[in-house]
Amino acid sequence: MSEKQLLKGNIAIAKAALNCGCSCYFGYPITPQTEIGEFLSLEMQERNLAYVCAESEIGAINMALGAASTGAKVMTSSSSCAVSLMQEALSYACSDELPIVLVNVMRAGPGQGYIFPSQGDYNQSTIGGGNGDYKIIVLSPSNVQECIELTYKAFYLAQKYRNPVILLADGLLGQMAEPAKLFDNPYPNIDNTSWILNGSNGRKSRSIHSLEPSQLKLNQHIFNLHKKYQAIEQNEVDYEEYLCDDADIIITSFGSLARHSKAVCNHYREKGIKMGLFRPKTLYPFPYKRLNELSKKTKLFIDIEMNLGQMLRDVRLSILSNAQVSFIGKPVGDWLKKEELINAIDNIAKEQYASI
Amino acid sequence: MNKSFIISGSGGQGVISIGQILANIFMLSNKFVSFCPCYGAEMRGGAVNCEINTSDSELLCLQNEKVDFVIALNQASFDKFLSKVKENGTIIVNSSLAKINKTRNDIKYIFAPITQEAIKLGNIKMTNSIALGILSKLIGELSIDNIKKAYERILKNKTELIQKNIEAYLFGFNSI
Repeated sequence: MSEKQLLKGNIAIAKAALNCGCSCYFGYPITPQTEIGEFLSLEMQERNLAYVCAESEIGAINMALGAASTGAKVMTSSSSCAVSLMQEALSYACSDELPIVLVNVMRAGPGQGYIFPSQGDYNQSTIGGGNGDYKIIVLSPSNVQECIELTYKAFYLAQKYRNPVILLADGLLGQMAEPAKLFDNPYPNIDNTSWILNGSNGRKSRSIHSLEPSQLKLNQHIFNLHKKYQAIEQNEVDYEEYLCDDADIIITSFGSLARHSKAVCNHYREKGIKMGLFRPKTLYPFPYKRLNELSKKTKLFIDIEMNLGQMLRDVRLSILSNAQVSFIGKPVGDWLKKEELINAIDNIAKEQYASI
Repeated sequence: MNKSFIISGSGGQGVISIGQILANIFMLSNKFVSFCPCYGAEMRGGAVNCEINTSDSELLCLQNEKVDFVIALNQASFDKFLSKVKENGTIIVNSSLAKINKTRNDIKYIFAPITQEAIKLGNIKMTNSIALGILSKLIGELSIDNIKKAYERILKNKTELIQKNIEAYLFGFNSI
């Protein structure tokens, strides 16, 4: 394991991708993730790997699909409004069962928005804008060390399930730097020799396509995909729980904003109020089951996001009518600060309990 | 020790560089630290700032309502970030490019003609390192070894430049 370095989130993602054998990168520059492509443009050339600055985001992700069909470990990266352009290809990648890694370093929307950080693409990532019954694994890092860990995991899960994986970071995390260790990729390589298109010399030819004119076969294909998604939901749910066991109030929060939420928990704990934090690390598959269990013994949930309530929907679906759910959010820009959150929570709590 | 800093000025004054050096110094001192640049369509001459937070335990607050120390290298950043200084906090102002004016009595002001001092030292580009030296004196508890290492990490193998910057840093450190 190497020593700690002061690493930007974007650079950490790029370095981790190289470390776990990413051999093709296709991208088109957009703030706040341009350093990923910039860094890789130098490093990949030196290592004789494929780096292409595509003509557009649509070009980039379709190149990624093509390269993935040959068995290469591929990545593309972009941000919010440009990830919108990739939705069609993501639907194809799910149907074609192509393992690609897409990094979305979120910026402000809707539309063009601006380069301010945001968490506004929760819905775009977890629900998606493409057509048909498909699911994409979505991983959400909250610090630079996790940018490295979850990049490794993204490549692994993409190969394991032959499915796209989105690493959903945000502009603040992409641009900020903090000490992190670049450790070796802990995941095994997945054998892909049964399906890749690497030349049919000596074997029966194969093809990868989503077009299927047989109703029977298309239904079967989608049922098979669905079974795979069920396995993902069974096996891959990941989350962080902080002081939730005895909590009367649990904050739900994801990504780098969850760190501010954790600071808020510490503030209330010091005052003797039992507050905890629940942070999903996989946004799909969402930890519905665990959150539902927690809702049976917790009075109040407060969902905090840098958007106007996107994960809130999944939180409510987990908690049902077991507990009260409140929401604090802001669409874009400077992260909701500890003091702002405490003010907002004091107001919520006043309505709920006279004691706070 | 939990401390927060904003370093601000105009593009080209080395705001981001000393922010990174400060963050590296804390990392080398085995502290938790975060460095957040205010990024944008910035260019030479535009407004630039960064926030650095350090803690003995897991670093949670990446952006704060108010900070312990502000460095303002020009008038615009002095105006913009004066209100971001915590009660009993300190603002270091480059009086070569900002008017001496104390409008708050709950904070400590340090006015120093940093740009002029850098010119006297022979290079206007040393403005940032002088400011970092002044800040370090106020923070205390930073080892000179780690400071040298931090400069080496940012300036890589530019030996002469590292030497000059450390001289400017020490000049700032000893100036107050």
